[in-house]
Amino acid sequence: MEIESNEFEIKAGDFAIVQRQGYTKLHKLKPHGNMLIGKFNVEMDNVIGQRYFDTFQMKNSPENKKMFILEKVEDSTNATDALNIEKSGTDNRNITSQGDTQSLTKEDIDKLQDSELNSNAIIYELVNNSKTFNMKTGYSQEKYIRKKEKKYFEYLQLRKPTIRLLTNMFYRQDPVKTLGIRIDDLSQILTYANIHSEGNHLLYDSGTSGLMMAAIMNAIGARTSGTLIHMHPGNQCQKNAFVAMQFPEEQKVRCLNVNLYSVIRCFYQDTAKEENYEPTRKRQKTEDPSSASTTKVEEEAPKQPQWQLENEKACRILKTKCDSLVVTSKEHPVNLVKELLPFLNGGRQLVVFSLTREPLQDLFLYLKSRLDIVAIKLSNNFMRYYQVLPERTHPEVNMNSGGFILSAVKLNC
Amino acid sequence: MSFDGYKATVKEGDTVVLYLTISQVYSIKAQEKTINKKGIEVESVFQTPYGALKCAELVGKTYGSKVSLSKGWGYILQPTPELWTLTLSHRTQIIYTPDISMIIFQLELCPGSIVVESGTGSGSLSHAFIRAVKPHGHLYTFDFHEVRSEIARQEFDDHGLGQYVTVCHKDVCENGFGENLNGIVDAVFLDLPHPWLAVPHAVKALKESGGRICSFSPCIEQVQKTCLELTRLGFQEIQTMEVLQTQYNVQTKHIPVKDLDFLKMAKSENKSDGAEKKESEVAKFLTAIPPMQQPGHTGYLTFASLYPIWSRKLGISIDENETD
Repeated sequence: MEIESNEFEIKAGDFAIVQRQGYTKLHKLKPHGNMLIGKFNVEMDNVIGQRYFDTFQMKNSPENKKMFILEKVEDSTNATDALNIEKSGTDNRNITSQGDTQSLTKEDIDKLQDSELNSNAIIYELVNNSKTFNMKTGYSQEKYIRKKEKKYFEYLQLRKPTIRLLTNMFYRQDPVKTLGIRIDDLSQILTYANIHSEGNHLLYDSGTSGLMMAAIMNAIGARTSGTLIHMHPGNQCQKNAFVAMQFPEEQKVRCLNVNLYSVIRCFYQDTAKEENYEPTRKRQKTEDPSSASTTKVEEEAPKQPQWQLENEKACRILKTKCDSLVVTSKEHPVNLVKELLPFLNGGRQLVVFSLTREPLQDLFLYLKSRLDIVAIKLSNNFMRYYQVLPERTHPEVNMNSGGFILSAVKLNC
Repeated sequence: MSFDGYKATVKEGDTVVLYLTISQVYSIKAQEKTINKKGIEVESVFQTPYGALKCAELVGKTYGSKVSLSKGWGYILQPTPELWTLTLSHRTQIIYTPDISMIIFQLELCPGSIVVESGTGSGSLSHAFIRAVKPHGHLYTFDFHEVRSEIARQEFDDHGLGQYVTVCHKDVCENGFGENLNGIVDAVFLDLPHPWLAVPHAVKALKESGGRICSFSPCIEQVQKTCLELTRLGFQEIQTMEVLQTQYNVQTKHIPVKDLDFLKMAKSENKSDGAEKKESEVAKFLTAIPPMQQPGHTGYLTFASLYPIWSRKLGISIDENETD
């Protein structure tokens, strides 16, 4: 199979995930632009025209000491191989923690870094100036090198955003920004809701930075028939993750972003009356965006504004009902689900996520009291990673806890 | 034919899920006749704890509606891969939805993906794979057990999914996935006793632009060998994990509250003693109770990426794995 060369070319305007060791960052590429990664300010010019998955080395800029430029790497070897460790201990009986094991000072290391960012050279100096390094066991030496390598690592790579990379990145940066949805949670929301290439799917999301809509649109896929109605509580929906995925236009337009209040108003009230409404602008704290958008609406008076067109389009779909309902909300789910359930077809799935269990317990009881809901399940996951190395396999030392998922089936009665 | 797309009503020959209670869910075929154990054609009747159901009566009914049984009622649902996983007949140990969800997600499958699965087993995961990659993607599923392979093929056809899947009877550890799959696959899934033997074949099958691999193994020794082989063949982002799900039962609980204050005073001082004792308080709260017993292990999931061909030779690992 041939690889289309331009499919993997890094272009200005692309959203890329920049990866340096365990650290990942979403970055929009400009023709000439800088990016801050860790404490390094990096000039990104040289990546344009190269390919994703190429490896770049950060080098001190010749013009500006504080800046780094990127150079494409053709081949290299691991720091551990290059270092050539001479002697290792068998255990740690002679190692005491006194704080003076490293004779290089912070200033010395900074100086090293400013002259040339080269993790091998820095680690070499660190090892040579460490009093205990040769007493450490081989495992522990390797661990030491890896730890230092991480700190002074000068290589990075650009990746095309995928839902997996984005979910992991968001979760590592700040779980709060995606309502605490962990990968296992997201994976199960998608399966329990039976999201796939067909059907009309309904999502209410109030705070996952666009991750839920991106994940659902990704599962619906390109060149398929499925659509998504994405209801959100604000003037603008959060869509960082959605934009980062850079779906083709044909796929993007099948995601209808509508304001929760205005679409429900549009559904239940006569659309003729709708003209005087603006979607919940009055709920905004500041005056400016509301007045700005009002004038915009007035200017385009003969033409219907985009949000209204999307509302009407969404309402037409809601009248024929949807094939799944997903709720990932900051708000208490009972009222939301109560209002959104009429839009769900009989015999179809409903999935609600919450980081805490109590709101879903309330929802569980509410759904149980309804005669048209069965198969109500409340669950959460235990997920952990493993370190797998010869003679050193064990669960990772750190783990976290995910959220709770309620799934149910609506009946046709 | 009821697995492909959303359906409103039951057609003759559809597989239908009969939901009675949360733990009593069955899949049945909506058809008048069936072949009994003696090979004779008889009327198809399904026995439930709430009475018998004539399968032919299901035809024409709306999915999600109520059906009467002689001693109660049930509901009929259109099968989804999740419901199918709960109701299918086990020909092998199967993979359940929490693991399936993680596998689909981590393999980065979406409509259009080409995915290889080995072995087919009872087809629990296969149904979820097909849902994720259709309409223009494809599943190639391999099993070294001929009968199992054949049953799976019939089942996919029966479920209306035949066009999205190719079932092969083959020992992939020995013979690989076949020339026709070289360099066209986006993701490979291995559930084999010796998964490391199939990893080199996976490298051949994966696209030059790279792809993802997953190995599901119940034992840690299998994981260790697989990880070594993945490392040797240049896979990156090698990560092993496990996912276990707990399902809760939500209940309102009442527990008595003891008030021992009255003990601090002499009986004579406390005149309304008898009355207070009666009012022993009860605290009421809503809680979610996990089951008494649940699976504590299913299998280890090992995932890894094969990078595009232009970045495979590099010795630098831009990986997120740390050692402790």
